[in-house]
Amino acid sequence: MTPREGIYGLLAEFNTPTELVRATEQAHQSGYRRMECYTPYPVEEAAVALRFHKTRVPLVCLMGGIMGMTTAFLMETWITVWSYPMNIAGRPLFSWPAFIIPAYEWTILFAGLSAAFGMLALNGLPQLYHPLFNAPNFRDGASTDKFFLCLEAEDPRFSILETRAFLEKFAPVSVVEVEL
Amino acid sequence: MASQHEQHGEHVSAHSSPRVLPASLDAPDVLLAWRKRALIVAVVFALLTLPFASVSGGLGHILRAYLMGYMTCFNFAGGALVLLMLQYVTGGKWGLLLRRPLEAMTRTLPLVALMFVPILVPQIGGYLYQWVRYPDAASTNQAYADHLISHEQALTANFKRPMLNPHAMIVEYCIIYAVLFTLMFLLNRWSLERDADPMRGALASYDRWRARFENLSGPGILIYVILMTMGAIVWIKSLDVTWYSSIWGLQFLVAQGYAVLALGILSVILLSRYQPMKTLLRTTEQHDLGKFLFAFVMLNIYLCFAEFLIIWSGNLPDEIPWYLNRIHGGWWTICTLDFACHWLIPFCLLLSRDLKRSKNRMIWITCFMIFARLVDMFWLIEPNFSDSAGNLHLAGNIGMLAYITVPVTLLALWVAYYITQLTKRPLVSTNDPHLEEILEPEHAH
Repeated sequence: MTPREGIYGLLAEFNTPTELVRATEQAHQSGYRRMECYTPYPVEEAAVALRFHKTRVPLVCLMGGIMGMTTAFLMETWITVWSYPMNIAGRPLFSWPAFIIPAYEWTILFAGLSAAFGMLALNGLPQLYHPLFNAPNFRDGASTDKFFLCLEAEDPRFSILETRAFLEKFAPVSVVEVEL
Repeated sequence: MASQHEQHGEHVSAHSSPRVLPASLDAPDVLLAWRKRALIVAVVFALLTLPFASVSGGLGHILRAYLMGYMTCFNFAGGALVLLMLQYVTGGKWGLLLRRPLEAMTRTLPLVALMFVPILVPQIGGYLYQWVRYPDAASTNQAYADHLISHEQALTANFKRPMLNPHAMIVEYCIIYAVLFTLMFLLNRWSLERDADPMRGALASYDRWRARFENLSGPGILIYVILMTMGAIVWIKSLDVTWYSSIWGLQFLVAQGYAVLALGILSVILLSRYQPMKTLLRTTEQHDLGKFLFAFVMLNIYLCFAEFLIIWSGNLPDEIPWYLNRIHGGWWTICTLDFACHWLIPFCLLLSRDLKRSKNRMIWITCFMIFARLVDMFWLIEPNFSDSAGNLHLAGNIGMLAYITVPVTLLALWVAYYITQLTKRPLVSTNDPHLEEILEPEHAH
């Protein structure tokens, strides 16, 4: 089903994380999938209720680490063995123990950078516009003391009237339509 | 951050299953069956050792393997003491979970001290240590004249005489164990008094005991590290009198943490099949302990490699033989095996979040890490002896197998005694504010 023109979703506002988690859990059981929780601090249970278990950030981080290690090790090998061979204290040109520390540092550097940038890329950040900021109560409360559940219009189960009625069952502070 | 987590824990507990402290906190009866199994293993392996005494070179290998077994047991008992003090100074829920198993491990110190007594006998010590065999300058010089030891061995043995001689060995032994026993006694006694405190459960009681344990543990860690460094140098590193390294104490300390943490996690997970540990061990804390174990895996290889790299870079004739003896003559295989078992395999496996949260997999990985400690101990001890280069085969050298049977015997005996100590107390300390947090419902699933 195509997204409804003009509406991003319905945003329910709660005062406590418990209410938010309960509503999210119920929404999932009722078949809603395109939804998101917004809280001022990390609420593990909300992630559980959203079935948000795994991301691909650890994989990106691991790939970055392996890439950093091989890059540094091969670069050092290339420099000392082929590009600029030099006799240092009579050691073999391929003196791998000396290569370990830079390779280790590049592993950490690449793993750290790929974790940070991979997280941003998978998050879809930087994002200059998000429809939720059209809701005034979201702008005021999402980063201070309110807990939000947004059921998105893209969800096949979404219908303005039924979804609104569904959300109002949980006695939220408010349910507002969010414009695109 | 912490207060926010606590807050939302309260909110959610409304619709999570309630967790209550089990009525009995005593160790489960199944421990007695485990102890019996450990004793059976000890007896079987002791019997398997006997034939090696009659083969050529077998007696020597039994003595070397006995030292290895003793050092492994000391690794656990001493390491438990320092980890116990560490968890008092750092605080945290992980410490509460491991506290009673660690206390039980420290109470095995008398057994470990007893294990060392045979090595104090000059005939046995003389087989192992060159400086016991030739206890004064005259006999050392005579041994050099007879080409029994090298010039450098004679010079360094005479130079290190104040620390390395049979009398000093007994004095060092007495000082080390006297201090360790004192720490063990106070920590274990206070732990019981803490739970029996009439004011228990009150903030004043928490603070009083926390301060008391911290004041002992802070200086205790420092004293322990100094004494352990002395012990570790005299007991294994002096097998090669020409050896020098200033990183060894720290390296052995981290190796102790590595093995003790692995054994502590293993104990807690095995105990969690039964009450009360079943209620107390949550996946969150198991995950934290797994991460801590991972840190020890990294720190251990960091120190080991740092020592190797510095000696390799210096390339000095009086430093490198220690490594050359451990690389040449087939030892490259053991060296590689040590690296793979000690670091490569645990590192790759412990990267996984799922593995750290799985009980069964953690049992396997911790057992494997304890095995890795034994490989490392073998690699440290055997190459000290001049016949070791041609030793890595079994044909005509069946006594080599004593390196399996003797340490297993000693370890099994030690484990039996550890289990005995474990059954003597409730498995968790109750007068501790972290207990309440552990009983909260799990945050992440």
